[in-house]
Amino acid sequence: MSLPALYLEEIDALSRKISQAQPIDILQFCANHFHGRLEAERNQHLASQSSTSLSSMVNPFAMASDTFPGTFGGFGGGPFDGSRDAIREEEEELHSPTAPTFKPQFSMGGMGGRPGSSGSGRRTHSPSGGGGGGPRRPMHVAGSPFLSPSGGSHLGPPSAGQDFPSNYNRNRRTSVSAESLVPTTSDDEWSPPIHPKTSDQMNRLRAAVSNNFLFAHLDEEQDSQVLHALVEKPIPNKGMRVITQGDVGDYFYVVEKGDFDIYVNSAGRMMPGPDGMGKRVTSIGPGGSFGELALMYNAPRAATVISTSSDNILWALDRVTFRRILMENTFKRRRMYEAFLEEIPLLSSLITSERSKIADALDTETFEAGAIIIREGDPGDRFYFIEQGVAEVHKSSQPGGYVRTLNKGDYFGELALLNDAPRAATIVAKSKVKVAYLGKAGFQRLLGPVADIMRRNDPRLGEGVDPLAGPGGFDGSIDVMQGPFGMGRPVEV
Amino acid sequence: MEIHGLAHAAQLPTPPPDALDDEDMIISEPADVVAVANAEPPPKAVEDCHKVKILGMGTFSEVWLVSPKREQKPETLYALKQLRKADVIRLKQVEHVQNEKSILELCRHHPFITTIFESWQDRSSLYILLEYAPGGEMFGYLRRAQRFDYPVAQFYAAELTLVLVFLHNHGVVYRDLKPENIMIDARGHVKLVDFGFAKVVGDRETYTLCGTPEYLSPEVIQSKGHSKAVDWWALGVLIYEMVLGYPPFYAESPMGIYKKIVDARITFPTWLPPNIRDIVQRLCTKDLSARLGNMKGGGFEVMQHPFFNGIDWRELESQKHKGPLIPQLRFPGDTQYFENYEPQELSADSTYPDSMLAEHDHLFRNF
Repeated sequence: MSLPALYLEEIDALSRKISQAQPIDILQFCANHFHGRLEAERNQHLASQSSTSLSSMVNPFAMASDTFPGTFGGFGGGPFDGSRDAIREEEEELHSPTAPTFKPQFSMGGMGGRPGSSGSGRRTHSPSGGGGGGPRRPMHVAGSPFLSPSGGSHLGPPSAGQDFPSNYNRNRRTSVSAESLVPTTSDDEWSPPIHPKTSDQMNRLRAAVSNNFLFAHLDEEQDSQVLHALVEKPIPNKGMRVITQGDVGDYFYVVEKGDFDIYVNSAGRMMPGPDGMGKRVTSIGPGGSFGELALMYNAPRAATVISTSSDNILWALDRVTFRRILMENTFKRRRMYEAFLEEIPLLSSLITSERSKIADALDTETFEAGAIIIREGDPGDRFYFIEQGVAEVHKSSQPGGYVRTLNKGDYFGELALLNDAPRAATIVAKSKVKVAYLGKAGFQRLLGPVADIMRRNDPRLGEGVDPLAGPGGFDGSIDVMQGPFGMGRPVEV
Repeated sequence: MEIHGLAHAAQLPTPPPDALDDEDMIISEPADVVAVANAEPPPKAVEDCHKVKILGMGTFSEVWLVSPKREQKPETLYALKQLRKADVIRLKQVEHVQNEKSILELCRHHPFITTIFESWQDRSSLYILLEYAPGGEMFGYLRRAQRFDYPVAQFYAAELTLVLVFLHNHGVVYRDLKPENIMIDARGHVKLVDFGFAKVVGDRETYTLCGTPEYLSPEVIQSKGHSKAVDWWALGVLIYEMVLGYPPFYAESPMGIYKKIVDARITFPTWLPPNIRDIVQRLCTKDLSARLGNMKGGGFEVMQHPFFNGIDWRELESQKHKGPLIPQLRFPGDTQYFENYEPQELSADSTYPDSMLAEHDHLFRNF
């Protein structure tokens, strides 16, 4: 039995390429070759088809005209009423069950590859590829039960398509996942690795990561732990590969000393052979960084990085350490917030899930020593905890002004949640102070008015007494500060 | 507006097949695809299954269309998910796989979640026998249509909102909402699949980064700890993608996507109806105290958004009417709505040698 001529042509072409390139990984080379061939062929096919008629295609989808009950007749007379083959769409022919070169389904280009493979053959679906001038009409007719009150049932601008991004990759998307991490319990304390650095080195590192959004939101403790965890990695020679495109990635790198070139091979991974690294796209020197995606999850490296000088020094940080530092800190802080919240009489009726919601939404702010956190007489709209540092309460009515000192865990301004009375005192940072806060609006969005929360399980309700009404209730102006001061004591301000 | 259906949704059983509205069935639809319940008991071993075709492939699993070997017509079809133990261990997904099975069992019989029938294991693989949704992924319909009209997007978003409300009421966060994980059943309703990242979190936050780049929320990207609110963010992304054909945050590289998500700035074409724009903006809100679905009313608040005006929630969850897009099946077992996959030869990494079994197999003891 003789083989098809087309096949022999392809095999010959492949053989020539193999003898040219002398690849080490034969299978990979062949796969890449045919992948590229298929893509070229499909693109060519697309280009040749874009101007032909879209008629006589079989729509594999049933019309939805029979799917909505009742009032479909309201659309009668419309151009899409009834007759099934009146509905077409621009990409129909690519997927027609009757077309010989494509699989009988909308197979995303019919590559049949694994999801998440580079799948370039699937670009038959790209808006630029499929977006000829054909009628753009989804394969259904909208029925009335889902009619929008805002008007017509159809979306879309008069000339839909013009605003469709041409560079959006429409392939199936693969899920990603980092290693599963569970916070350590208190009796099994985890401490992050510390690799000593000079303060110069610390400053350089801080500058290097400061505009990276994975680091930008870290608090001071996380920031310093992360920087301390970076480990020195000398790259003694020129021409050493630090990361290889397509390989798994576990480390993020900051350049301390030396120069590196970055190469990208359009095949998505480094290939064997002299040009295997692909094109040089940029280079990186001291203060630069690369490989940050590895801090999120294990994804194939997007580029190859190679040293171009000798005596280079890199700082490396692995994903699990990075994520663990962030998690342990966040976890501890969360539990601390929840403990703080439990101390507030005003919020004593919150159930666990409500406290955790509030803890979830707390924001932090840092004040330098001497800064005023809230000012007496100002309108109040947030309540605060002291997370770190020491602050003082001052009142104008008090001789000398000083009232008391606030430490970690103390809170103030919670009456702002209840009413709009002006602040009854001024709070000044004595050291650097970090506060966690939540605004009244945010609190109410999450849990509703505090007044309702206070009312709901107050025993006096049974006696017909509203704890918020009359003497003895919180009216925001009473200075309730009797009893010993200390952790968790309220200051009504 | 009908919202009483919600409390009901938490324990809603699948309506018996005879309760379905037969009148608006389309002729080409084989009845047996719908009526799984009256068939023989489902198979309990891979030897009892005839493998028809691969429906999908993941990094450590394959999903097969199977029919039980001993069965008379009409044949019942199932989707069999096969997970390779070696890859599950290598990719550190043991916990996720356990979660998947136990949460699917928790959600058994929810109308919009794929039903788990059986699960078992053999020496090298884990198996989950699932309901088969012959319409394939919503993803295919969406890419084909480029965009869904408002009523179509509204319908799917509403069914998925009921799913999220149900899951969240059970303390479950789903974490991988996207068109690729939403199947369309024979009557055009959604079936959520792939619970690999679902987790029982209750009221607590969780830390493992997982999901799909375009659908991740800012708090996941920034490792701030995340909770059920991530599903509402993802619903916003999904609505946007359904009505516009592309997600609100995209870029050439994953890091580019993440930067945009963390900035949380979304652009809308001017012609987009304000209700759509508004619900997307409210769901895709970085501030957790202002994200729709995460506030006082929870999922109810999502259901009450004007985007859903006209939805009768009770009718929706009872599946009284068919969905807007109905797969047209030419014969039972027609898989035209699925991609073609070639069975892969197992790589060396996927073999499960005795040494690995001895060390790790106890992890699957309860599967």
